Amino acid sequence: MQRVWVVVLSVWAMLAIVAVLAWSPRPAAPLPAGSAQTVVVRGRGGKQRLVVVKAPAHATTATSAAVH
Amino acid sequence: MSVLHRTEWRAVGTTCAAAVTAHSNDERGAMRALGAAQEEVAACERELSRFDPASDLSRLNAAGGRWTPVGPRLLEALGLALRAREESAGRFDPTVLPALVAAGYDRSFELLEEREARWADDWRAGTAIELDPRNGRARLEAGSSVDLGGIGKGYAAGRALDSMLASSPALAGGIVDLGGDIAVRGESPEGGPWLVAVADPRRTGETLAVLALDGGGIATSGRDARRFGPARSLHHLIDPETGESALAGPLTVTVVAPDAAAAEVHATTLAIAGLGEAEAHVSATPRISAVYVPQIGPAVPLGRLPLVTERLVVRAA
Repeated sequence: MQRVWVVVLSVWAMLAIVAVLAWSPRPAAPLPAGSAQTVVVRGRGGKQRLVVVKAPAHATTATSAAVH
Repeated sequence: MSVLHRTEWRAVGTTCAAAVTAHSNDERGAMRALGAAQEEVAACERELSRFDPASDLSRLNAAGGRWTPVGPRLLEALGLALRAREESAGRFDPTVLPALVAAGYDRSFELLEEREARWADDWRAGTAIELDPRNGRARLEAGSSVDLGGIGKGYAAGRALDSMLASSPALAGGIVDLGGDIAVRGESPEGGPWLVAVADPRRTGETLAVLALDGGGIATSGRDARRFGPARSLHHLIDPETGESALAGPLTVTVVAPDAAAAEVHATTLAIAGLGEAEAHVSATPRISAVYVPQIGPAVPLGRLPLVTERLVVRAA
C-alpha cells in the first residue's frame, strides 16, 4: 500500500512541476537558432567582460535625426 | 522555402532599407512590396518634411496662422504628436521648431555651417495646433511652427511597413528601417523574429544587445550624432522648458514600443530625461522598454527588453 502512495505522490509532484513550467513567464521572443552568441572574457583586474561574437541582425539602431 | 528580399535607398535625409520574407517562388510579390514601401516613404516626405518648401508642413508653417489644406498623413502625424505632447505633459513638443531654427539648425543637417548659437528669446512651448480632418486642413497659432523630427520617421516607417505587407498579403513578414527608426512585423526568413542590434554609441561597429521582435517599433535618440554649431557644442534635442539644447539626458536611448511612431516619441522624450526620470517614465508606460546609455557609465536596461542575449553587453572599465 505504501508503494502505491509513493507512486501516486510522485505522479502528482511531476504534474505540479509540469504545470509550474507551463505557466512560467516566457521570454518575449524565442531564441532563433544560430543567433547571437556571447563569450565571457576576463579583463584587466579580473573584471568580467561579456562580448557578443556573432550577431546576424537584420537591422541596427542608430540615433534618430531631429528632422528630415 | 522562405528567402529575404531587401532594398536600400536614400530618402528623408538618411539611408533607408526595407526587407520582406517571401516564399522562394514569390519574387514578384516581394518586389512589389519593396516598391510600395519606397512609394509610401516618398509620400510621407512630401507631406512631413520641413526642408522641402513645397511640402504640406512647409506650407502650414508659412501660413501665418491661416487654415491650410494638408494631406492625410500630415493630419494623422500632427494628431499623434499632439496626443504625445498631452501624455508627456509637454516633455515631447512638436512646436520647438523656432528654438531649433534660432540655434542654427535651419537646413538639412549635411548643409549646416558653423555659426554662433542664438537662442530664441520670445519662444514659448505648447503653442496651439488645430486640426480639421473632415475638411483636410490644419492651422497653427500665429508665429508658431512645427517640426515633426521627433515622430516623422517612425510614423513613415510604420506606414511603409503597412503598405509593404498590404501590397502582397502572402508575405510572411517585413522590416522597414529609416535611418535607425525601425518597424517590424511577422517572421524573418529564418522563421523566427526579426533581430535588431542596438549599436554601441561609444564603439563604432559594436553592439550593446540584440533584440528579437515579431511586431512593433524601435527608435534611438541621443546626442552622439547630429551635433552642430561652434565646436559641435550644440545638439538637436531641445528642452521644451528652456528652448535650448537639453543639458540632462543620456548619450543615447533606444526604445522598443508597439509601433515605430510611439518608439520615436518615447525615445525623443527620454533623450532629455535623467536616469531616474527615465526609469519612472518606462515604469509608468505599458508596453515600452529601453536601453539607456548615460553620458558616463554603462548602459542600463529599462523595462522588459526582448533580448536575445540574456543581458546587455558589459565591458571592463
